[in-house]
Amino acid sequence: MAIIRTEKLEKIYQDNGVPVHALKGIDLSIDKGEYTVIAGPSGSGKTTLLNVLGALDNPTKGKVFFEDADLSGKKKSELSDFRLKKLGFIFQAYNLIPVLTALENIEFSMMLLGKSDSERHQKSMALMEELDIAELANKRPNEMSGGQQQRVAVARAIVNNPEIVLADEPTANLDTKTGSNLLDLMEKMNAEKNITFIFSSHDQQVISRAKRLLILKDGLIEKDS
Amino acid sequence: MNLLLKLAWRNIWRNKRRSFLTLLAVAFATFAAIGMRGIQLGTYDVNIKNAASMFAGYLQVQQKGYQSNPTMRKAVRYDDNLTETIASQEHIIGFTPRIYADGLISGENSNTSQGTAIFGVNPQSEKKVTTLIDRITEGEFFTLANTDEIVVGYKLLKNLNASIGDTLVLLAQGYDGSTGNLKFRICGSIKTGSPEFDAMGVFIGLDTARDLLYLYGRVHAVVIKLDDMNNLDNVQKSLSMAIHDTSAAVLNWGEVMPDFKQSIEFDNVSGIFMLFILILIVAFGILNTVLMSVTERFNEFGVTLSIGMPQMKLVYLVILETIFITLLGIIAGDLCGYFLNNYIVNNPINLGAEFADMYAEYGFLPVIESSLDINIFLNVSFSVIIISLISVIYPALKVFKLEPLKGIRYT
Amino acid sequence: MLSSVIVGVAAILAIDGLNTGMLNQMLDNQISSSVSHLQIHKNGYNDNKIIQSFIPESDKVEYKLQNTKGIAAYSKRVKAFGLVSSAYGSAGIFISGIIPSDEKRVSNISELITEGSYLSGGKNEIIISRKMAEKLNVEVGSKVVLMASTIDGSPGQNLFKVAGIFETYSSTFDKSNIFIGMKDAQDLLEIGPEIYEFAIIADNYEKIEELEAYLASELDGKYEILTYKELLPMLLMQIDLTKESMQILNLIVGLALIFGIINTMLMSVFERIREFGVLMAIGLKSGKIFLMVIYEAFIIGVAGVVAGIILGYGIILPFTYHGFDFSVFAESLKSFGVGAIIYPQISIENTISVALMIPVIAVLGAIYPAYKAVKLQPVYAIRHV
Repeated sequence: MAIIRTEKLEKIYQDNGVPVHALKGIDLSIDKGEYTVIAGPSGSGKTTLLNVLGALDNPTKGKVFFEDADLSGKKKSELSDFRLKKLGFIFQAYNLIPVLTALENIEFSMMLLGKSDSERHQKSMALMEELDIAELANKRPNEMSGGQQQRVAVARAIVNNPEIVLADEPTANLDTKTGSNLLDLMEKMNAEKNITFIFSSHDQQVISRAKRLLILKDGLIEKDS
Repeated sequence: MNLLLKLAWRNIWRNKRRSFLTLLAVAFATFAAIGMRGIQLGTYDVNIKNAASMFAGYLQVQQKGYQSNPTMRKAVRYDDNLTETIASQEHIIGFTPRIYADGLISGENSNTSQGTAIFGVNPQSEKKVTTLIDRITEGEFFTLANTDEIVVGYKLLKNLNASIGDTLVLLAQGYDGSTGNLKFRICGSIKTGSPEFDAMGVFIGLDTARDLLYLYGRVHAVVIKLDDMNNLDNVQKSLSMAIHDTSAAVLNWGEVMPDFKQSIEFDNVSGIFMLFILILIVAFGILNTVLMSVTERFNEFGVTLSIGMPQMKLVYLVILETIFITLLGIIAGDLCGYFLNNYIVNNPINLGAEFADMYAEYGFLPVIESSLDINIFLNVSFSVIIISLISVIYPALKVFKLEPLKGIRYT
Repeated sequence: MLSSVIVGVAAILAIDGLNTGMLNQMLDNQISSSVSHLQIHKNGYNDNKIIQSFIPESDKVEYKLQNTKGIAAYSKRVKAFGLVSSAYGSAGIFISGIIPSDEKRVSNISELITEGSYLSGGKNEIIISRKMAEKLNVEVGSKVVLMASTIDGSPGQNLFKVAGIFETYSSTFDKSNIFIGMKDAQDLLEIGPEIYEFAIIADNYEKIEELEAYLASELDGKYEILTYKELLPMLLMQIDLTKESMQILNLIVGLALIFGIINTMLMSVFERIREFGVLMAIGLKSGKIFLMVIYEAFIIGVAGVVAGIILGYGIILPFTYHGFDFSVFAESLKSFGVGAIIYPQISIENTISVALMIPVIAVLGAIYPAYKAVKLQPVYAIRHV
């Protein structure tokens, strides 16, 4: 079943007064449980595509469907709510809130949803055990290494059982070994919990481990395997 | 909500130095404001009390129209009706009648004469209402309302080249328009600090004044003392209603001494204005700090918004942070302000003797006092909070309009 | 930070302007209504104004005055205490007997006539204040009786007609002064040709002490010569006191600013920590970095002062012509002798003291941040992203 799909998706944005046609017509369908990587040279539009899929941006033309519901017309606050409940994000940097501990960061979205103290705590601790980062529970981000921070970011992204996790260059600031470990983690989550993963990356490691690879060039899909 | 509070509080201490300095700025402004207002209001209180107890009293009963145009004929009826009505009022602890006239005074031996302001008083009741009798500097005040003794302002005495025991003649135009004159014996001289009395005033017995001016059954003012200045408005209202004589009016010290009251008002207004300036300066400081701390975190805000935090919650966060810092500063400022005001209240600052005369001319005491009135603290604190909330509008707006992607990509 | 400096400076200057204007108005009003720049009496008159103390050999004094450089105008006055009464009431007052045409050049009462006209020199004319007219319930054309003690001690009196009504800026002055012709005053007091006071307006009142000294050397100890400063000691003291409290207020504002300055400079230093580190690593001496930060704060201070002065003057300047209407406080202001409309004046003295104070405060505030900028290790600074 297609969990997310686009029809003739186009995106034009303004760059200092110059219109940039980032996406020129994307027709795409991703099923639940997929592990997809969007790759391509700089300027190909991969980050833009990820942003639209992640309801962070609205298409200029065309439509985006999440489980057959049209996202394109929705208001910012509705999209925000949608993201909170259904999606998870992992960014290249600044993932964690610096003044919160790892545990608190992971609990963050549950707190926004108003879940009870015990439920939050229990779920978070359980997940941390699973991801082998339980000892970081009371540490602040500035007390962890880059790799540890990203692992916590993964935990935060999936603790709420999102439908899709979108990751934008998650390994960009990590060395090869740490990056590899991170990818192990995400593959594990994908397999065990059937969470859909969509990446945007130019990291060779990430690309080589993709189960489905979408290559973008100049705003269009060049290759889809 | 708890989440926001926790975040806000922790966020403040991310940059300890900056938060601390901002807090210090708020604290200083609050402290200075409380100090200044305390001194202003405290000093007013002392001066009002002083002026009231020296001569004008807290309230006065006069003939309607006398205050705006004091003439001999505008005297109010003074009978048992009136005295009983006044005596039965709550909070009134004393009252005394007065008669005023302008006249000429001349020494029996000397060839000089002066214009003078004549005050007819009843020493026995006057004692209970004002401190006038205590202002005797040489000799003594007479004790009866019917006497040929006279108390003269000390400067006037000097100008007349007279001394205690000498005789003087008073000349004045009476109630019926005719000129009366009487001889008096100087029994004392008085020093109030106010040139109105010291250089121009003489005091004679009330009944004697009646004879001199042919004024019977009426007086120009009944001066009233209250137990507490705070009862002023109540008593003024209820006394006005209780008095049957419709041509009589009840005035408070402000209406009797409008110059004095307005000087206080003028000073008060300029004080409030200064306060405003002070707080405005701090507002810019707060604006600056908050703006900086917000733009620094645009990346982080972008991520937070991406993962689904509602935009308004982020705005509330920034507002909360500002409130926290401001509150801390206000509390510190309030405490320091309290200590300062308390110190001055217990140790009023006396200005030098050189200033004493200058102040007295305008009816003020040469002291600096303060006040611990809770309203000062509340008003200042409240103003600071309001201004800080106004300064946070611009940064909050920036956060409100921030789009997740723009935030993430911000440099 | 710049904005708070600008606002602070502008505010100080605006308030200063108002205060200075008010105080100068007070002084000017007194000088132009009666005190003038310099007065000459018989020695001892000012402390004891008795009828016997008229000026000895007044024509000799007058001759000297006519031949003195630096005197713009002078007038002669007869002064006494008296009683003025109407059918309605009476009041104790100071009588000034003047020569109207001379007095016009020295005091401005002639310009403050609101009804009727100034003394014309005719016989038995009197001008009184508005307040006095209300008190006596008279108007232009009414008759009043003026009573005073003559030189031999007996009371003299005469009937006068109200020629005009005046209103000065000082309610205390108005309450107690009336004017009649000099000859009428001399007749009333039976003093013949004697006078009590010379009132002098100088060309340059800032050099008044020189004029005083010159006249003192020309006239002997029979006379007393008093400048307006000696005649209005209270007012002058008040002016000084107000100037001092303005300084205190300036200081408070300055202190309020300093926290903002420290904060801003700190933030700006930390923003550029990397650059400083690089500069130091390539050999720029720490002392120079320190000075650089101080210099920046100094520039901001100066810029803020300039902008603040422009803003402050911009606010005040239009009002120097129209004045600020404080009618709400009219009674009180008149009792100070200011008048309900206050014309702010720019005080160069204050402007300079503010212009000096602010950059100093800016520099003081920058010391700690400058110290921090320098204290960094080069390596640490580059790593601090």
